[in-house]
Amino acid sequence: MKRAVIIFIILLFNLIFQSTVLQYFRINSVIPNTALAVIISIALLRGRLEGCLTGFGAGILQDIFFGNSLGYYALFGVLSGYIAGRFNHNYYRENYALPVFLCFTGTLIYESAVFFTGAFFDGYLNYFYFLVNIILPEAVYTAVVAIVIYRLLFSINDRIEKSEKYKRKLFSIK
Amino acid sequence: MNFFNTYKKQILYLVIALLVILAFFTVGRKSKATPIDNILGFIVTPAQNISTSVSSWFSDKISSFKDETDIAAENEELKAQVELLEAENKRLSMYEDENKRLSALLDISQKYPDYETTGTNVIAKDPGNWFLTFTIDKGTKDGLAPDMALTDAGGLVGRITECGYIYSKVESILDSRSSVSAMSLRTGDLGVVKGDYTLMNDGLCKMEYIDAESEIMKGDEIVTSYLSDIYPSGITIGYVKEVVTDENGLTKYAVIEPSVDFKHISTLLVITDSFAQTTPLPEENTQQEMPQQASSVDVQNQSAGDE
Repeated sequence: MKRAVIIFIILLFNLIFQSTVLQYFRINSVIPNTALAVIISIALLRGRLEGCLTGFGAGILQDIFFGNSLGYYALFGVLSGYIAGRFNHNYYRENYALPVFLCFTGTLIYESAVFFTGAFFDGYLNYFYFLVNIILPEAVYTAVVAIVIYRLLFSINDRIEKSEKYKRKLFSIK
Repeated sequence: MNFFNTYKKQILYLVIALLVILAFFTVGRKSKATPIDNILGFIVTPAQNISTSVSSWFSDKISSFKDETDIAAENEELKAQVELLEAENKRLSMYEDENKRLSALLDISQKYPDYETTGTNVIAKDPGNWFLTFTIDKGTKDGLAPDMALTDAGGLVGRITECGYIYSKVESILDSRSSVSAMSLRTGDLGVVKGDYTLMNDGLCKMEYIDAESEIMKGDEIVTSYLSDIYPSGITIGYVKEVVTDENGLTKYAVIEPSVDFKHISTLLVITDSFAQTTPLPEENTQQEMPQQASSVDVQNQSAGDE
């Protein structure tokens, strides 16, 4: 329960951060997808179920405040949480290469999916243009930002896990 | 947990199907925020407000630090410009008086009436790279409603798509989902100003469906036309940057440079008049009748003066 509340606060904070402060850090008018970085980090640290739930939360928040319909970003969030959670089993948490690599490819796939379900149907068939001008720069930017985000979430997760362990001991003594 | 592990594929498919259905059913339908939206709005919007003011303060400080040397020169330039504009303003206000008198004589309502407006601040922008929507810090509490138009000092910014209690969502004219009925002020050619994915990040938009024989050209001022149900007529949208003939040779499109700088919007005006009531004029009639009436009025005036 405590974990859910903390993750929800992180997601709210991320939404606020992304829509206000990060707007001043647009490079060539491209902004990193920190929401996706959060989803992937949590999915890596905690596995599929929490990845999906985090993805759903982040997506539905974006749908409510900036979306065109409810469920669009939530769907992409759930899927990315599910896929990233697959890599939870066999990797060392201290290793930064996997989260950074996953954030890079994840952004590539995520934004391509957004393109093919949105702009493509509006008659913008030139995928290559958008790949070079929006998707690739965004993926690189997100991968760089992901180092910081993963580090933060890693230590937050550590603390939560420790406190949970402590509680469990208390119960076993009883 | 066990339940999830055994049925995780099925649960995933179910969730995906539900979300897809939900997304399809809610596309573009919402114009009033639901209670859940409003509760979240009470948490998120004040935080966004604070966060935006802090970061814009820093950004102002940094840019003022950078521009300090240019400020003196700019000041001189602006002073000269103010003088010019004052003179022009006087001239125009004389025209306005004249226009008022003449239209009172002609008994037609003003084509470009004064609108009631209310000021508002931009508190958050779309966190993605595909759309250009933003949130403002006023909602139904302050009497705003969906489909109200927003302007900046320079010109048209967009329209409200959804109203919460203390916040509203705005779709800018650069957003690919937006389309505004527009006309060229000089030639009167009609068209539709639309957002474009490829031009959006350069701060430009597109005016489509222009007649191939129109004489629209670079530098023309584009304003909202009298055909729109949402936007009041006569608001400046921007200036033509480039005119291109479509491949079919029947229509042209123009690349428009909006007069609003969308990278630095902060304070905006919402036009709160319910605008549908202020356009009773069928435009054709007035255009045909006006010259005749005007000339007859002139004759009357002259004869009155003569007497």
